[in-house]
Amino acid sequence: MKTIIVIIALVIISPLFGVVLADMVGYHEPLDVAAEELGLNDTSEEVNWTPFFDYSIPGLDPVIGYILSGFIGIGVIIAIGFILRKVVERR
Amino acid sequence: MHQLLNNGVQGVHIPDGFLDPLWSIITYAVAIAYLGISYTRSRSLWSIETTSLVTVLAAGIFAAQMLNWPIPGGTSLHFVGGALAGIILGPFLGALTISLVLIVQCLVFHDGGLTALGANILNMGIVAVLSGYLLYRLSIKLVGRNEHGRFIGGFLGGWISITLAGILCGLEIGLSPQFPYGVLVSIPVMGLWHLVLGVVEGLITGLVVVYISKKEPGFILAERGVV
Repeated sequence: MKTIIVIIALVIISPLFGVVLADMVGYHEPLDVAAEELGLNDTSEEVNWTPFFDYSIPGLDPVIGYILSGFIGIGVIIAIGFILRKVVERR
Repeated sequence: MHQLLNNGVQGVHIPDGFLDPLWSIITYAVAIAYLGISYTRSRSLWSIETTSLVTVLAAGIFAAQMLNWPIPGGTSLHFVGGALAGIILGPFLGALTISLVLIVQCLVFHDGGLTALGANILNMGIVAVLSGYLLYRLSIKLVGRNEHGRFIGGFLGGWISITLAGILCGLEIGLSPQFPYGVLVSIPVMGLWHLVLGVVEGLITGLVVVYISKKEPGFILAERGVV
């Protein structure tokens, strides 16, 4: 339970690092900066398969989107863990 | 160009468009082979307890990776957790755990490219996990199964594992024809930056391992000699 509370707290404060501070220092993913300056073609945005691109949710404020993305990611991991647990129980 | 490279690359999620198709295939093949072996080797370890541990650790590492510290100039710093997973869950369950995180990041959030998923799993889910595990084992063998041995093992495991993951990332990018400067530029730059910034990964890993060893010593599978 204590671990879960820590994980939830991490997600809630995460936009401070992933969005707010990033905007303040004009941060971009370093590999993206490298690609641009070296003339490499990062095709991420051309070929996209998810509405949650880069931990954002369409139509939502980036900070809220980042937090919700965190919970979506953790929800997906817990769902997979739940399925694994059921498989292990059946064995 | 060097200014750019000096900006460094701590976020080691390689996006699409960076890797040559040949390297994409090779890294996928190695990653699939290792994960297949990991599944087979860890079958006897799967229990309700380990399933919960894998899930909680994967969720924790996913959340920790979202705390991305941007450093002015374009470098970022975030915890990767490969060594921590290797120390707590061993080299096979640990690899499966980090791979789960990387697959969710790639498929749900497009963090890391689909064509580079094999490389990202190889760098962070296999090399970082395995090297972190081995260095931890070495430390508790040489220093002892005590607080010092655990901290040193966690610290060196976290630090060196990130450096190795960075070097490998540099190798994969440098060997791809898309990167015009080659491995003589990409490897030293990636390796040096990860050597510097990886100290933080080492400190966090060492402290977390010592904390867990005090609370739940049985959770550290690397100490049980599980391989």
